[in-house]
Amino acid sequence: MAILSNRTSERSAEVDPADPGRRGRRRRRGIGLSRDVIGALLAVPAVVLFAAFAVYPMLRVFYLSVFDYNLTSDPEFVGLANFAFLATDSRFHEALGQTGFYVLGTYGPALILALVLAQALHTKTRGMGLVRLLYFVPVAMSWVAVSVIWRVVLHPDGLLNQALSIDVNWLTSSSTARWGLVIMSVWKEMGFFLILFLAGLQAISPDLHEAASLDGAGSFRRFWHLTLPLLRPVTAVCAVMAVIRGFQAFSPQVVLTGGSFETEVINLFVYKTAFENARMGRASAVAVLMFGALLLLTLIQLRAFRRRDR
Amino acid sequence: MSTLTRRHLVGSIALLAVVSALAACGNNGAGTADGKVTLTFWSHTHPPMVELNKKLVAEYEKQHTNVKVQYETIPNDQFGTKMLTSLSNGSGPDIINMDDSALRGEYLPKKLLAPIDPEGFGAKSVDEIRAKYNEGTLDGASADGQLYGVPSEFNATAFVINTKHFKDAGLDPAKPPATWDDVTTYGKKLVAAGHEQAFSFNYLHSGWYTQQLQTLLNQTGGEIADPKTLKEAVTSPEAVKALQIWAKLATGPDKVHDPNASSRDATSPFSDLATGRQSMAVVYPWSMEQIRQSNPDTYKELQVVPLPQVDPAKPVNRWYAYYWAVNVASKQQPEAWKFISFMADNHERWIADVDFIQPVKGWETSAAAKELPALDVWAGAYANGAFDTVVPHYAEIQDAVTEMVNDAVFNGVAPEEAAKKAADQIQRSLDS
Amino acid sequence: MSATLGRVLRVSLTTLGGLIFVSVLVYATLSALKPASEVLAVPLSWLPSTFEWSNFALPFTETPFARYYLNSVVVGVSVTVLNVVTCTAAGYSFSKFGYRGRNAVFVIILATLMVPVEIIYVPLYALVFQLGWVNSFAGLIIPAGTSAFGIFLMRQSIDSVPDELLEAARLDGAGELRTLVSIVAPVVRAPIAALALFIFMTNWDSHLWPLLVGADDAHRTLPVGLAAMQANNLGSAGVPMMMAAALLALLPTLLLFLSLQRRFVEGVTMTAGMR
Repeated sequence: MAILSNRTSERSAEVDPADPGRRGRRRRRGIGLSRDVIGALLAVPAVVLFAAFAVYPMLRVFYLSVFDYNLTSDPEFVGLANFAFLATDSRFHEALGQTGFYVLGTYGPALILALVLAQALHTKTRGMGLVRLLYFVPVAMSWVAVSVIWRVVLHPDGLLNQALSIDVNWLTSSSTARWGLVIMSVWKEMGFFLILFLAGLQAISPDLHEAASLDGAGSFRRFWHLTLPLLRPVTAVCAVMAVIRGFQAFSPQVVLTGGSFETEVINLFVYKTAFENARMGRASAVAVLMFGALLLLTLIQLRAFRRRDR
Repeated sequence: MSTLTRRHLVGSIALLAVVSALAACGNNGAGTADGKVTLTFWSHTHPPMVELNKKLVAEYEKQHTNVKVQYETIPNDQFGTKMLTSLSNGSGPDIINMDDSALRGEYLPKKLLAPIDPEGFGAKSVDEIRAKYNEGTLDGASADGQLYGVPSEFNATAFVINTKHFKDAGLDPAKPPATWDDVTTYGKKLVAAGHEQAFSFNYLHSGWYTQQLQTLLNQTGGEIADPKTLKEAVTSPEAVKALQIWAKLATGPDKVHDPNASSRDATSPFSDLATGRQSMAVVYPWSMEQIRQSNPDTYKELQVVPLPQVDPAKPVNRWYAYYWAVNVASKQQPEAWKFISFMADNHERWIADVDFIQPVKGWETSAAAKELPALDVWAGAYANGAFDTVVPHYAEIQDAVTEMVNDAVFNGVAPEEAAKKAADQIQRSLDS
Repeated sequence: MSATLGRVLRVSLTTLGGLIFVSVLVYATLSALKPASEVLAVPLSWLPSTFEWSNFALPFTETPFARYYLNSVVVGVSVTVLNVVTCTAAGYSFSKFGYRGRNAVFVIILATLMVPVEIIYVPLYALVFQLGWVNSFAGLIIPAGTSAFGIFLMRQSIDSVPDELLEAARLDGAGELRTLVSIVAPVVRAPIAALALFIFMTNWDSHLWPLLVGADDAHRTLPVGLAAMQANNLGSAGVPMMMAAALLALLPTLLLFLSLQRRFVEGVTMTAGMR
């Protein structure tokens, strides 16, 4: 976010509508205001769609969060009661905990694995393009399809148990269901970050590595003192995206456990609260909290990575 | 404005046109422009029932050429949500087919349904319709003295045993288990004879969890919550006892099945029984017909017997029913009730084709009922049943019940502890 | 010597890891081809005794799978086209024109990039209902008709189009729309392709929104339909059919990915560059 607005302000300095230079040019061209009107009209379809289906509902979420609303009767103002309820609701707390577990459990390993694999796969050796593809494939698949497949993989007599010669009831126990989801999600998401890290590595000049090699730095030292710092911007991006993707989790939980066995993540909680139990106000309050949390997390992440950048 | 500008304007408008053209395809298609009436009708997915519904719809359309019935089925696990959200905001079908706990727990308190229109049934009054049905069987669709629908199926609960498995285990099929303790005793023998899923409940969605627990609660005298005081009751000794019965069958030294190995197929919930993996089950009339259609060989080995009891001297059963009802927002209520009247008039075919019992007076003496296997068992089961106790926010409470059963059955939590945890959630739901 | 050994080790380890990764898909494919009695057999046998190719017809004969598929294609293509059009036009507008309020609008759009769409579904559903779009393609398509990411991507890309090129076109008497279509669009065709691919793939994966607005069989998209089929066919008898259905469902995006791999990678990195 912060980076974004920085960039925007840079740009606005360039092409600020108040910039007399630009205005002058425009006048000189002699087409006058109409050109800008046309320009503005071009943005209308996007802006209209945006205002109606993103901005308005977003404002409405804030509004509804202080009402008791079940879709049937008129919304009833309840002040902060929805927030107060959530503050003491163990089901909500559990959903927060499960979301945290899912985000860390899935994206921690996925990021580390992707970072390590990127080092190994960043090579011009022939045939490696094909090997990379093996890791990329799950990225291109839809979550529901993946979940349907993994339901069988995680079956007591499925691939995972049989390949490892273990006997785990992955999806029907509170101690293992969340791990089943995490294993599947690491498989699905790792490739996405691998792509990003490989692109990041490509941007690093090979000369640097050569120079370090000549200086006698071992491969681990080169990775730790050279590659990793240079990859920091990419890592920052990955971390932000990981959190956002993690918070959006819904399909795997719906398909694999329906939220049973302590796998009810925040999105599923919102869905059930709003659409199964018709408590729209309470669901909106969760959305407001989520909005704040995500904003905060992203800012913290970006700041942390930028500080170390310097 | 220059021509140049106008051309641009045209361009921009064309862009908008794309958007609005797409918007135009958004009508709901329930047009009545040519004097035709289109009724929409939603049900859950029980394959034999879906088939009969389609047949009857076709017949009705043939008789009433001005009516088109748009019949949709919705997967069982999404059924409640879809129906409730669409009815809540005034959309949704004209005709719904819904179970009594949802009707009493959500639809009627929220005033989403239209009271019955006797004219559609060719009756002078609601009482005339009421008079056709057995005492108490319309309670599942009644509120404030009004009637909101007629039953499409009315179910009591019985038990089924696989006679072949019984013989394998040296048991006498003529002496079925009378109590839940018997189920354990027999079950252990069946397990020893290699039938490892001797008895299992169905671990499907929250509705199933709750209805099975209710069956046990009716016998132990427990409740999920008290509808008058709106206080949770799952921690009462009676309720905990029901949960204990369930947990004992699935965990510990006396377990007679592995709940992890139970199939979780909501469209054919009895597939383990039907494929011969499972030896005993709690069943409803429709289940038997479904098994007969899908697995005729196993069906021959099955025998319907009375439901095991906590106290065989005072047998208690559980009733539940589905009703045809009309969306209060429907603009074609008279037509909708006419269609429902037609569906209900076919009650003999509902017994003959799908074993759905509609509790019209004297149903058990009808020709179709005489063909019904184990009629005496069913008639007995209907004699001592009761509807579930329903409280507000029932969907949320069913979630808590599901967690409670999962804790006790799959997570090894002691039933008392599981109940305490659920009680907290249930009370919070009731209080807010 | 040790360098060669290192390379061999690296190639074989990564290959092994990759094979373990795709083994899940191989397992799914072979399970789809097995007779129902052989899936989930103990001990695990990879190969079916006979290849039941007809299992791939089961989703079509047993469920309205063809309808789900068609719906997903219609919605996916419409949403993609709509996004390409609206985002390119808006990107051009924000990049090359100087009207008042432009930056403010742009910043507001950017601000929403952070918000996961799921949290606005409650009021969005109410709005779409009021518009009469529940159970309609309009409800599935139009709210997804533009994206902050797309607008941002197209503006950044169009920024790099030299103004001189546009001036030349204008001097030739081309209108703004002509300039956009025949001058700007060809220059930024790579980002457009990346955007199209991205939007299509995201939409193909979209589950929660279609679940809310596409309730009936006629409007169910693949993820919704597949999840419904899954809920209804969990018994082992349903496994080959479900595996076949899942594989058929992931085929289009997989093929798109394999044929446009480079675009995809560019797209992902562009998404990254955005933040």
